[in-house]
Amino acid sequence: MSAAQARRANSMDFNALDEKDEHRLSDFYNPNILINLGPHHPAMHGTLRVMCRINGETIEDATCEIGYLHRGIEKLGEDKTYYQWMVYTDRLNYCSALNNNIAYAMAVENIMNISPTERCQYIRVICMELSRIIDHIVCVAANALDIGAMTVFFLLVHWREQAYTMIESMCGMRLTTTYARIGGMSYDLPDNFTERLWKFCEEMPAAIDEVEQLLNSNRIWIDRTKNVGVIDKELALKYAVTGVCLRAAGIDHDLRRDRPYYMYPELDFDVVVGENGDVYDRYLIRMEEMRQSIKILKQCNKKIPNGPLWVSDKRVQIPEKMEVYTKMEVLIHHFKIFMEGINVPKGEAFTCVEGPNGEVGFYIVSRGGPKAWRMRVKSPSFMNFQAFEKTVVGGKIPDAIAHLGSINIIAGELDR
Amino acid sequence: MKVNPVASNCFASNAKFLVTQEQVFARLTEKYSKERVLETDKNTEPVLWAKNPDDAKMLVKMLMLDESTRIDFLSDLTAYDNQDGEDGEGRFVLVYQLYSMTLHIRIRVKCLLGEHQQPPTITDIWPAANWLEREVYDMYGITFANHPNLRRIMMDERFSGFPLRKEYPIKQREPFVDNIDFHLGANPLSVENTIIEGTPEDERGASPEGK
Repeated sequence: MSAAQARRANSMDFNALDEKDEHRLSDFYNPNILINLGPHHPAMHGTLRVMCRINGETIEDATCEIGYLHRGIEKLGEDKTYYQWMVYTDRLNYCSALNNNIAYAMAVENIMNISPTERCQYIRVICMELSRIIDHIVCVAANALDIGAMTVFFLLVHWREQAYTMIESMCGMRLTTTYARIGGMSYDLPDNFTERLWKFCEEMPAAIDEVEQLLNSNRIWIDRTKNVGVIDKELALKYAVTGVCLRAAGIDHDLRRDRPYYMYPELDFDVVVGENGDVYDRYLIRMEEMRQSIKILKQCNKKIPNGPLWVSDKRVQIPEKMEVYTKMEVLIHHFKIFMEGINVPKGEAFTCVEGPNGEVGFYIVSRGGPKAWRMRVKSPSFMNFQAFEKTVVGGKIPDAIAHLGSINIIAGELDR
Repeated sequence: MKVNPVASNCFASNAKFLVTQEQVFARLTEKYSKERVLETDKNTEPVLWAKNPDDAKMLVKMLMLDESTRIDFLSDLTAYDNQDGEDGEGRFVLVYQLYSMTLHIRIRVKCLLGEHQQPPTITDIWPAANWLEREVYDMYGITFANHPNLRRIMMDERFSGFPLRKEYPIKQREPFVDNIDFHLGANPLSVENTIIEGTPEDERGASPEGK
């Protein structure tokens, strides 16, 4: 008998057992039916599995299983040099790769006691805000699509494409950018960037307004989102929820303002706070945060100074290509940086930035040399998904889909 | 105890939280640094070494109650391998990244762990620690005492070994046998049930020896 036949025989045995059981799955009034949301389903936004025990349409208990996209990124961080590992940060939250690149570069720089130049800091702020807009667009658009509002998707995704085209002009890539470098950026801004960014900032808010007109007072949207998937204040703190979900719960916290890094203290923006912590509040916060990001982008565009892009620190500065080809010492230096890696001193640091989903942190323990001893990625999705397991209980199955879409779980950073 | 006087990093030098951080550091020096090691990391954030895992949990509780630290948020919980013994006697280092939502400061509590030592769970303080501790267990094999649901989270249930330990080879492959003990509801089938006698070895997939 083959293994498959054996299994079939076994399951038949099992059915025979079940005949006596009054809670068979075929029993229509069975209050304990198990269903799987995911792992593979378009509405799950990645490979996530939520096992639900349902009574009718109501979810009475839920448990999540993760790890389908586990690639051992933290282990790879101990095996690759600091430069080689940069590309893996793109694959964490692939909707906002720039943000991760910069957060990682920042973490390494902090260990090396390097402060980037002013121009570099402004470019990084621009990148982080652009990626925040992109991430929020993906979240709101996909969430609306799940709920049934397809127009919103088309309206917003156009602007995501525009933002990607702008990013492409900066570094040549669209999705996985690898734009940041330790101590600088791989390229300076292109020539006509200021005008293009300005055009984007002028035209994009019209799309946000249009979407808000479509959704904010839409009866169907409100019915589907208000008081759905509530993560309240207390639960958010207990489950270490960060980012938009935390602010939607009414906690006024934003790392950009509370632990300011780079040029954020110089920039004028508001932290958006909700009060109910439901899907509707999270949607409103995302829309308003996009407006605030546009405001930041406009200020950066005005203030960005001319000047050096790279820190003048021989440990990390990548030499000019022309000099590499013409000077022997520079060639050796270039070769050492990329083949051997940069020598990061002994020490450790935990550096967090306010990512689109929440607190993105890199905890690097260095024991000297070109590779990290421990590369820990603190991802917001991991914590948010844990809270999802608790808050999905009591809702209906379509509510679970709306809820999942609005906390924006990205499997790449969830499983790492 | 050592303090980094220079902190050239991403933070603005006049940021408000840096002042609070200094006050908190003074407070930690005064109250918590007896018999414990207090140091700063490269971000000038305080790192407090607990004497043992139980002391670490007690420290977390004390820092929560302390009016001048006001820790209320678990930013992260992780561990790292201390195979080379650079941080002292003990196989692992357990790391609690604590944060205060009101003061906006971070405190890191660390403690050394023996290979078979069982630290207490902190899920009773923050339920957020549940998955984090499961991940630490999954990656390092550190078992937390009284954890409500300590099982693997990233890796498969059938996986053996702990991937983030330094001795685990990065390219290790582990083929799983095809026979998963499938079960329905509350009556799981026993393993013996699923493996039928006389089934050829190769039909069940590759054996762990790579045959």
